[in-house]
Amino acid sequence: MKRFSAFVIRSKWFIIFLVLAISTFLAIQIPKVTINSDVISSLPADDVDAVLLKKIGDKFGGNRMGMVILDAENIFTKDVIQHIKQITDSLSQTEGISSVSSLTNAMDITESEFGMDIGQLIDEYDLPDSPEELALLKERALTNEMYAGSLVSEDGTAAAVIFTLYDDADIQEIAQTVKAKTESLNLPENIYYAGSPMLITSIARLISADLTLLFPIALLVIALVLFISFHTWRGVVLPLLVCILAIVWVIGLMGLFGYQMSMVSNNIPIVLLAVGSAYAIHVIHRIEQVKQTDRKQAIIVALSGVAIPVILTAVTTMAGFLSFIFGSYLKMIRDFGLFTAMGTLFAVLLSLVFVPAVLSFFSPQNKSKTKAFQKTSVLYKHFLLPLQKFIYSHPKQIVWIWIGLAAVAVIGITMIERNVDIRNYFKKDNPTRVAEDIMTEKFGGTKPIFVLFKGNVQSPEVLQTMARMEEYMKAHPGIGTTQSVAGLVSKINGAFGEGPIIPDDQTMIEQLWFLLDGNENMKKLVSDDLDEALIISKFIFSENNEKKDFANYMQKFIDENSTETCEIQITGMPYIDVTMDRSLISSQIGSLVIAVVFVIFIVGLLLRSMLSGLYAAVPIVASITMLFGFMGFTGIPLNIGTVLVASVAVGIGIDYSIHVISHFKDGIRKGETVAEALHETISISGKAIVINLFSVSAGFLVLLFSEMVPLEYFGLLIALSMLASGMGALTLLPSILILSNKKR
Amino acid sequence: MRIIYLFVVVLFTANISLAQDAAEILANMDKVLFSPKDKSGIATITLIDKTGTEKVREAEFFQKGPHKKLYRYTKPESQAGIATLTLPDNVVWLSLPAFENPKRISLLSKSQAFNNTDFSYEDMATTPYSERFTPELTSTGANDYVLLLTPISGKSKYTKIILRLHKQNGHPISMLYYNEQNRLFKEASYTYEKIGKYWNAKEVVMKNIEKDHSTVIQLSDIKFDQGLSDDLFMVENLKK
Repeated sequence: MKRFSAFVIRSKWFIIFLVLAISTFLAIQIPKVTINSDVISSLPADDVDAVLLKKIGDKFGGNRMGMVILDAENIFTKDVIQHIKQITDSLSQTEGISSVSSLTNAMDITESEFGMDIGQLIDEYDLPDSPEELALLKERALTNEMYAGSLVSEDGTAAAVIFTLYDDADIQEIAQTVKAKTESLNLPENIYYAGSPMLITSIARLISADLTLLFPIALLVIALVLFISFHTWRGVVLPLLVCILAIVWVIGLMGLFGYQMSMVSNNIPIVLLAVGSAYAIHVIHRIEQVKQTDRKQAIIVALSGVAIPVILTAVTTMAGFLSFIFGSYLKMIRDFGLFTAMGTLFAVLLSLVFVPAVLSFFSPQNKSKTKAFQKTSVLYKHFLLPLQKFIYSHPKQIVWIWIGLAAVAVIGITMIERNVDIRNYFKKDNPTRVAEDIMTEKFGGTKPIFVLFKGNVQSPEVLQTMARMEEYMKAHPGIGTTQSVAGLVSKINGAFGEGPIIPDDQTMIEQLWFLLDGNENMKKLVSDDLDEALIISKFIFSENNEKKDFANYMQKFIDENSTETCEIQITGMPYIDVTMDRSLISSQIGSLVIAVVFVIFIVGLLLRSMLSGLYAAVPIVASITMLFGFMGFTGIPLNIGTVLVASVAVGIGIDYSIHVISHFKDGIRKGETVAEALHETISISGKAIVINLFSVSAGFLVLLFSEMVPLEYFGLLIALSMLASGMGALTLLPSILILSNKKR
Repeated sequence: MRIIYLFVVVLFTANISLAQDAAEILANMDKVLFSPKDKSGIATITLIDKTGTEKVREAEFFQKGPHKKLYRYTKPESQAGIATLTLPDNVVWLSLPAFENPKRISLLSKSQAFNNTDFSYEDMATTPYSERFTPELTSTGANDYVLLLTPISGKSKYTKIILRLHKQNGHPISMLYYNEQNRLFKEASYTYEKIGKYWNAKEVVMKNIEKDHSTVIQLSDIKFDQGLSDDLFMVENLKK
């Protein structure tokens, strides 16, 4: 280690130049990072539901469907109809939009005295304006399931203009254009934007807003905590510089290798800011503590002593992050784990190499000032000293208090909810959330369900099975309306006087098709080759159990009716939600077990005793138990943000245990009594733990200002689990150490 | 003062004359398009999507005067025998062989695509152009005129059409269709041949620029003025 330290000092110019060169190169790569807020793209390539959903989205354009909703007291007025037409026309003329459907351009087939009318529900060039015409329109629209619940709410108070994007369209650009165009019309009705393109764009905007707003706040907060703790600018600037460089390197690498920023990786900068500063702090602190007049020699001595513990604490923290790579189902969580672990590695490298190189240019700090600060420390006098006395006299009681708290927390754990509904990622007053709520309330939800039929779409078998399945679906309380080509064929068949059914004769179907060719709606429902067709519907409920029940209900029909010539598959957002929900549990258990085992193993190796590894894990396991208990009692659900907390908490929190155990063991090894070792541990390591606890928690608590609910919870819960593991390391762990060293 | 007066008079009369010229040119095109008493032949309709995939339809057609048209489909096989009969006032009858009686269809939307092609029902209308558009002559070339057509009725998907037509023969060469945003979104090009005393559109290509989709209509086996009977255009005879 001494050789390494000497090398660092010898090569200080080279190190500084290299760091600056790498940082410049990687900073240039940062603009290449794009934001991908699509959850579906994060599912594994072999996820059956996601693969089918992507396929359907690509083939039928369903994944690229957005809605502009007009909310008014009564849709069926001359003005509102005119406004629907204005939006429809405006969107129809937007580059990148392949089709637009609304009441003012909807296809309509009606039987008439002498034949049938095929055309539009509303003559777009002669909009209804008399009360009679409007009443007739209302009756026709609300009694036809092609429109009611789809283009107009069943209570007639909201209308939707649905648009579909071309495959190669830039989703975010078009979503912004749609909004800008609609807003430029200055319509008096309440306007909302919903559907996948709008949702994805909204999330991307929030991610970007979070990054630009929260990062500087976190930087300021952590700088403040560091300044209050160390009273030196050197102790503030260098740790923060290390964090910023590590963040630049990580984000630069993401850009260089084509990784995208997701709603999870979005908080990598803040996590690194909170986590990465600790290593530099240790290094600076140790260098300033060494009593050597020769600056270079002081750095070599300090670095030789501090390098190993710093590396080991970094390794355990990285273990927490890396556990996501092996334990997570979603790619966005695995990416988060990978890049945060890399960031931690960069932070520790920079702390051990770059920081000493920079410090070698500066004279030592005024130690009398530092010492004076330590002696008069309020923290020591009013917290650490009384705490140490209490622990020494009541170790058993402390263990029992923790057991009691854990027992209560276990009750909370049984109450933990899970939530993967993307709607809940937004705050209640967020316009996107409001739009999604309106869609749920007035249009039977925004969660599309697609039933894919493979076979000859013009065969009576396929169409009749589709028609039966639609009836079966509508019998379920979670389904409002359905749309399919079978519905259109039976309608035209009815108009030809044969009744609203699917004919038994394929020739008849083929000929009825003549009237459907060229209709915009057909592209959403039938493939060009006529070998695949869809039933499109929406699922009303948001509860996961309801989704599971529905999946079982549908599977029964599929099992009984899917044949070689009429193969049926089903997917949709409720199915993705169920998969995500299942993955939350497995990811949580998987990554947590990996993190804990990893940490026990590393600490065991470090302290050359597996028993010490197990001791170190005790406060962590206790804090995780508290964390889950808290989530259960407060109703904070397990979601893609909160699922990260436990493993991150293990990775960061284990450092506290390592400091306490190694310090205590050191004391015992030096021949100190248990009381002396405890006093040393609590007063020195305890102080570092409390400062680190505050700076890390302050950094994470900044996430409370996030626009996204999972990140808000993430910030709060990490701060809480830091508090719990810090307190565990300062009370429970010393108590166990006292009890296990009783003989002394 | 006199010079100014003279200038104004000349300009005014020149404008009237230009307007008259434009109207005459368009009326002349209508005459070229609608002059045969009757016409029959085979129409091959090819749809080409952006990947280059083609779908072919074929129909025999009969036309008497500008307003009576009968199309009887022969391809694809699944639609063979389907017939559409267009009569004056945009009355359309549809006969599906598998169903007993022809049905009268009221096409409420003229802007809808005609049978999955890039032509709308508005494009296929039998009403002469001069009755539907106000023309303005924008340029005169060695072999062509360019007219700016503005729809008379508000019920059009187009805000303007730029029509280039043959100076000597009077038939269209190309049409550029503009939408409400004044953006070119469709273009048609025509290839004409002379059969007897009439000009016949041998091939029409309609390209939807926005959708990158084209429709090619080729007319073959064309016969003019055969004295087609009115019976051919009777609903009762549609199923034959």
